[in-house]
Amino acid sequence: MASDCDVAVIGAGAAGVAASVVAARSGCRVTLIDVGDRPGGQYYRGADLSPSPRAGVDYPALAGDLDRLVAAHAVDYRPRTTAYALERAGQRLLVRTRGDDRHRQDVDIIGAGTVILATGAFDRPLPFPGWTLPGVMTGGGAQSLVKGQHVLPGRRIVVAGTGPFLLAVAATLLEHGAEVAAVVEANDPVVGSVRQLRGLTSGLGKAGDLGRFIAALARHRVPYLRRHRIVEALGEDRVTGVRIARVDADWHPIPGTERVLECDAVSVGFGFVAQLDLAAQLGARMIRGADGGLAVEVDDDQATSVPGLLAAGETTGIGGVEAARVEGLVAGATAAVLSDHASALTPSALERVRRQVARWRRFAAGLHATFPVRDGWVDSVREDSLVCRCEEVPVSRVREAVALGARDARTVKLLSRAGMGWCQGRMCAAAVDGLCGFDDIASLQGASYRPVSVPVPLGALAAEPVEG
Amino acid sequence: MNADVVIIGAGVVGACCARACAEAGLSVIVVDRGAVASGTTGGGEGNILVSDKEPGPELDLALLSRDLWAQMAGALGDSFELDPKGGLVVAARSETYEHLLRFADEQRSCGVIAETVAAWDLAQLEPRISRDLVGGVFYPQDMQVQPMMAAAHLIEAARATGRATLMTDCTVTGIDRDAAGAISAVRTSQGSISTRHVVNAAGTWGGEIAALAGVELPILPRRGFILVTEPLPPVVHHKVYAADYVANVASDNAGLETSAVIEGTQAGTILIGASRERVGFDKTLDWGVVRRLSRQAIEVFPFLADVQLLRTYGGFRPYCPDHLPVIGPDPRVPGLLHACGHEGAGVGLAAATGHVIAQALTGAPLSIDLAPFAPERFEASHVG
Amino acid sequence: MSDEIRFTLDGEGMTARTGQSIAGALIAGGAMSWRRTRFDDRPRGVFCGIGACFDCLITVNGEANVRACLAQVREGDRVERQEGTGYGE
Repeated sequence: MASDCDVAVIGAGAAGVAASVVAARSGCRVTLIDVGDRPGGQYYRGADLSPSPRAGVDYPALAGDLDRLVAAHAVDYRPRTTAYALERAGQRLLVRTRGDDRHRQDVDIIGAGTVILATGAFDRPLPFPGWTLPGVMTGGGAQSLVKGQHVLPGRRIVVAGTGPFLLAVAATLLEHGAEVAAVVEANDPVVGSVRQLRGLTSGLGKAGDLGRFIAALARHRVPYLRRHRIVEALGEDRVTGVRIARVDADWHPIPGTERVLECDAVSVGFGFVAQLDLAAQLGARMIRGADGGLAVEVDDDQATSVPGLLAAGETTGIGGVEAARVEGLVAGATAAVLSDHASALTPSALERVRRQVARWRRFAAGLHATFPVRDGWVDSVREDSLVCRCEEVPVSRVREAVALGARDARTVKLLSRAGMGWCQGRMCAAAVDGLCGFDDIASLQGASYRPVSVPVPLGALAAEPVEG
Repeated sequence: MNADVVIIGAGVVGACCARACAEAGLSVIVVDRGAVASGTTGGGEGNILVSDKEPGPELDLALLSRDLWAQMAGALGDSFELDPKGGLVVAARSETYEHLLRFADEQRSCGVIAETVAAWDLAQLEPRISRDLVGGVFYPQDMQVQPMMAAAHLIEAARATGRATLMTDCTVTGIDRDAAGAISAVRTSQGSISTRHVVNAAGTWGGEIAALAGVELPILPRRGFILVTEPLPPVVHHKVYAADYVANVASDNAGLETSAVIEGTQAGTILIGASRERVGFDKTLDWGVVRRLSRQAIEVFPFLADVQLLRTYGGFRPYCPDHLPVIGPDPRVPGLLHACGHEGAGVGLAAATGHVIAQALTGAPLSIDLAPFAPERFEASHVG
Repeated sequence: MSDEIRFTLDGEGMTARTGQSIAGALIAGGAMSWRRTRFDDRPRGVFCGIGACFDCLITVNGEANVRACLAQVREGDRVERQEGTGYGE
């Protein structure tokens, strides 16, 4: 209990792995904390990576490096561990951790001079009638089942929402033998042909991915229904189909265009929401990312407004796996300097990486401009549609809270219980803001302040030794 | 804009004042710089307690207030989860228990119903309670409301009279006085409101409002955190707290004080309070407080060791040096009335506070003597 | 097969691969939901799949409210569907 290190990295996705490798290579004592069983995060989950023996800053090389650093005890790697809180203790930060759900009494406190937040993101869901039916899940949920568990969520699946991630999910499902009934994209990313989507990403390594996804769709003759949206999921005790409609540019359904697609699973996602709990606990300054969602403000060194707290990857704005990796490299280098070590990245290498950060951020901004969330989604919810899945709060109660004088997400929560349950508003925050017309960063921030980011048994907290 | 009275603060105290004034026929504008219940009301548990009050003016106010709460709940159709659950105060050591029994005796002489509960009878009231306690006292008059809903629905009830208006996101920037020194208008971020009367129901921020009117009111924040567990079936049936809570409420210690206050809610979560610290307006969660509250709660209900903490919330109780609220007309500024500084008892005392504020404004006979709550009592020259 | 492990769902025998999550094993076994909500008594299963939404809560060896999407199955686990809070009413 109560261990100590120079640099604590929270999250072992692309950003956290990159940061850990650079910091450890620079001579820092690194502790890497991650919820997963093995490094890789959501993107590299279950990926068949033969750890690369060669040096480099691409992900396979970094993953191979991490393996060696862990084996050499240069990185204290803690899988199946969640950081539930960050706390300041003088010049140092304390990371409070908990074991997985089967070891939730296993708590620890890790002191660190520098903390790198690389906690990634989860899908941004938006409600529609029937969205709580079993079989309806987020794109990340569908991918985690297929890539991580080698289990298909259904036989015939509708992939819906907005963003290039829909194509990635559909391609994964197809590769594993599912039938994809359609990809239902609310925006219109390509005026003319799907090819132009490739144009958007030309000159970037990521284009390879998108090209592969689009080719897979074409090969399996999966319709890519642009300007379409799910207006209702059908079924009694599990989903049996979806009602879709053509929508206008603001996502309002066009009357007379509704039709039903039969399916036994649905994957939905409307972009991503960064996991910012730990940064919010320390009062780190937040900004709006290019996608309009909340993000931690960082400078060119990936430093937040809180001394000793760095952030990389999706926490600084949804930017994808490549942005995460290069930001992780920068954060690792900054952490080394803050720990009085010479960075393992040479100044010229660091300069190169910084240029890549800027390039990937421009790429992300372009994607976000192509796949925004439009107000029209509100048209298809009904008064009795649930907004908050945990506390089972319908649309009507949220609207009632506004009528009673709520003017921000926090007051809506207090008056309606939307956001008070197990997930602490992670699944309903976007919906509440959209329904109530809140467009204020303060409201977003109020809703995303979670002093305890994952539940912890009171007995484990009571057993902590008294410090000092 | 104009109104007979402008109420500053849309917390539970402001809401009770608004409803009472509107019912009394006055035109009312309620202003709040945030939303309804966005200050201390939203950071509390919704206690309506007589059990923690020693004999004196605050207990008299509390007894009146609980009856008024019951009436309001009846009139408003249970829109705010009023639960007459009763309070159970328990002692872990015999000295504490003896002290508690003497305290209960004194309370009984003032009209409090207090039933002595022997150690072996505690489990009849609370089957999951620790077997290591030496005894307790049951207070059937203690109640709980969902305080945010209460504030919102009371303001709604005031608006339903057609005489009250709510202005949220509306910051008071100044209070104007005429040549005679009396209130003439309230200036806000949304314009000036002509009025002859202002009710300062700004809670922990009541001192700032008083300053805008040109008078001093020594109200300071006393921070408190509440732990919220995962939802459970109904397992804690009353408000259960350790006897040393009473000592902490009245304490002048600036440092951290905690004592377990445990209760279930209609939503299934269990709330665990109460901590008290004088640390200004810093809202950062203190994990030392979490550890102490967890320990103390488990001592009373051992099963809580396996129950998970889901979230915490906190607020800033407004306290005055003598731990009594400030209620009534301020003789220093004609037209200015105060209804703030209720410390941790704001919800409980709100109903009576609104009631007497409306009486004071309409010239009706007062249900209670306001001298102990006089705003000018802190002045050096004041002779009490 | 050596990497196959056995567990029960409400007393019925099920199998899983070593390292598989409870949710993965249940869906592979044909179950889509294993929890009913505490107010409306509606079925729920996997939603976010990565531990953020807490919709897939399940009881394992008597311990309630375990996230099925994250927790791994172990040999001999007694997994039970959950009603309401997971603690019986």
